[in-house]
Amino acid sequence: MVAIQYLDDDNPCRPRHFKPPPCVAIVPDGPAMAALEACRSRLLVTAVLFALVFAVVGLRVAEITLFEGGAAQSQIGRFRAVRAPVPSHADIVDRNGNVLATTLDSPSLYAVPKQIIDPAAATGKIVKVFPKLSSAEIYGKLTSSKSFVWIKRHLTPREQYDVNQLGIPGLEFEHEERRLYPDADLTSHVVGYAGIDNAGFAGVERALDEELKERREPLQLSLDLRLQYILKEELQRVIDDFTAKGGAGLIMDVNTGEVLAMASLPDFDPNHPGAPDPGHPGLTIADRMFNRNTLGVYELGSIFKIFTVAMALDTGTSTITSTYDASHPISIGRFTISDYHGKHRVLNVPEILMYSSNIGAAKMAVAAGAQKQREFLARLGLLKTPKIEISEVAAPHYPAKWREVSVMTIAFGHGISVTPLSFATAAAALVNGGVLRQATLVKLPPGYAPQGQQVISAKTSDQMRRLMRLVVEHGTGSMAAAPGYVVGGKTGTADKISGRHYAERKLLSSFVGIFPINAPKYLVLTMVDEPHPNKQSHGYATAGWTVAPATSRIVQRIAPVLGVEPVDEASPEVQRALIVESLQGKRLEAY
Amino acid sequence: MIRLSTVFWLLLVFVTGFAMFTVKYAVQSQEDELNRIKRATIAEEHAIRTNEAEWAYLTRPETLDEMNRHYLSLAPIATKQLRVTVADIPLRPQGPALAEAPPAAEPLADSGPPSAPEEPAALTVQVTPAALRVPTTPAAPGKPARAADLAKPTPAKAAVKPAMPARRPTSLDELIAQVAASR
Repeated sequence: MVAIQYLDDDNPCRPRHFKPPPCVAIVPDGPAMAALEACRSRLLVTAVLFALVFAVVGLRVAEITLFEGGAAQSQIGRFRAVRAPVPSHADIVDRNGNVLATTLDSPSLYAVPKQIIDPAAATGKIVKVFPKLSSAEIYGKLTSSKSFVWIKRHLTPREQYDVNQLGIPGLEFEHEERRLYPDADLTSHVVGYAGIDNAGFAGVERALDEELKERREPLQLSLDLRLQYILKEELQRVIDDFTAKGGAGLIMDVNTGEVLAMASLPDFDPNHPGAPDPGHPGLTIADRMFNRNTLGVYELGSIFKIFTVAMALDTGTSTITSTYDASHPISIGRFTISDYHGKHRVLNVPEILMYSSNIGAAKMAVAAGAQKQREFLARLGLLKTPKIEISEVAAPHYPAKWREVSVMTIAFGHGISVTPLSFATAAAALVNGGVLRQATLVKLPPGYAPQGQQVISAKTSDQMRRLMRLVVEHGTGSMAAAPGYVVGGKTGTADKISGRHYAERKLLSSFVGIFPINAPKYLVLTMVDEPHPNKQSHGYATAGWTVAPATSRIVQRIAPVLGVEPVDEASPEVQRALIVESLQGKRLEAY
Repeated sequence: MIRLSTVFWLLLVFVTGFAMFTVKYAVQSQEDELNRIKRATIAEEHAIRTNEAEWAYLTRPETLDEMNRHYLSLAPIATKQLRVTVADIPLRPQGPALAEAPPAAEPLADSGPPSAPEEPAALTVQVTPAALRVPTTPAAPGKPARAADLAKPTPAKAAVKPAMPARRPTSLDELIAQVAASR
């Protein structure tokens, strides 16, 4: 019994009254079975879900640590990597790297009034840093119930430093940016200016706004700040000397089309585009923002004769020895075409350009015909809107119907209005071997000349160089001579249109100069609007007395900057390159 | 046996836990340091930008022109000042003159008064006939070679300055370097 009992119960510690339940699996049926099955499947789903989540986490860990090499960035503030805020717009620099436009941090100061412990003391300190702010206003702001009040927008770095030095809790800075133009009005029309949010409103800032946003590196313009300064200064001098309304000028590399300087006067300060000019309170903002080089179209007058002569020589309707009778004025319709510097005799082609004969030029153009003239001007790009990296460009004005009288007047630059920029681009093509290259304001790589379009033959270009030298040597542009730099060019004095008539007393004097003309490198175009004669000019306000001497001064100042070495103008090599055979042995009349 | 393995695992848990936290804090402090340096770099970059703008402002052609008028009164280069190129400027004479100069200068520099050594040295340079001939001959392509030929036969030259180049300098910097090397 005892043994059986012992055998029955293998655990001596178990109480005797405890009977283990029979170990048979209970197989439920009906609803219990269904409930158990549902429970199991739910468990399975949960387990799979958990497994999935852990798998995702595991994979992500593997991805971050193994595949991304730790490059992933934390989203949590403390561990977030510090990155430099990228300026919204790239800098603009000149061809030598001088900053023309830059984006600076310009923090704005605000206050959280609740955090200001002693508003009266804080007001006193703030007013000490910003003497222009009224203390009553600041005190009102600091004691207001608002949670945020602006104290001052766009602080200078020094002001920010001073505010930090005050150490007032509750004053905070908001990061803001501001476009700054260190050179102020020197490059105003080219660089333009930016408005709110640094969006470009004019000039390169506007035309290349998108590119400036995307760029990280500064945008290098073709401008040279030194040349720009010289050009502007000399233009201003002409304007002051002859009490002119305004002026424009540009310096261009004739072999690449790069614009090295472009000035239009009067101008404005892009840092404060709307502010009035203390020197000229009468001028409107629109007047000062008007870029005469690209947005102004002008009847440029006699400087257009270089195109007439080039057309006649290139199309073969005239040769260098052709002669035209300029002894009598031409009467056509209600117009009479006469010469300003009349010689009253038969003139040959070099003389027509040298003495700037309207009659001769008109007859040359008529000999070539309307179609050839129109085609030629179109080929030089003078009949379409110029393309350049600023948004202010104007389309030329020319007659829709090219009548004979139009042919005659266009021959000497009346009846067609073009921008000085278009003129300079076309004039560069006449002297550089006949290749027309689009003008650009963006610096090209050194030694690179863009693919141009051959518009006249190299031979005609060579003849044009000789003829333009003659104008300066013996003709109307003699005051543009800059000894050593072999200047060639052409003067132009146009009567301005007022209403439907030409106004005799309102002139537009311009000069296109190229140096050294025997191997052209640079073109200087200058123009003054409504110059008035002064005592030194003996009653003249024509181009020969106003902008021609200015060109001489400009060339003498910029040539050393550009590294152009002066040559002996009487040396045989220079003479050989510039001689005009048809005038050989002929005594030239003094202009 | 079971206890030993438990102790082992517990120890391992403590060690790895400690190691993990140590590494974590080390990384954290290094990241903080990195961020601090980055912030400082950004501040410096901002300062550089500001200073560049300020430099551009202070060196405007207008300002420079005004300062020039105030302090220097420099005039634009006149054409006549450019008639002579760097190649036309005569070099400091070479050859025998140079050979004599250093021995003459050295003993005097030790003993004599400071002003005395200048004159004899300068005189020997000027008077030597070969030296005179070099600068006065007009510029010609064959010239540098001739100058070298004149200098070579003198035996002392090689002993004193073997590195002295005989050719003409093409830039001002080179000229200055040559002059400095000949001293």
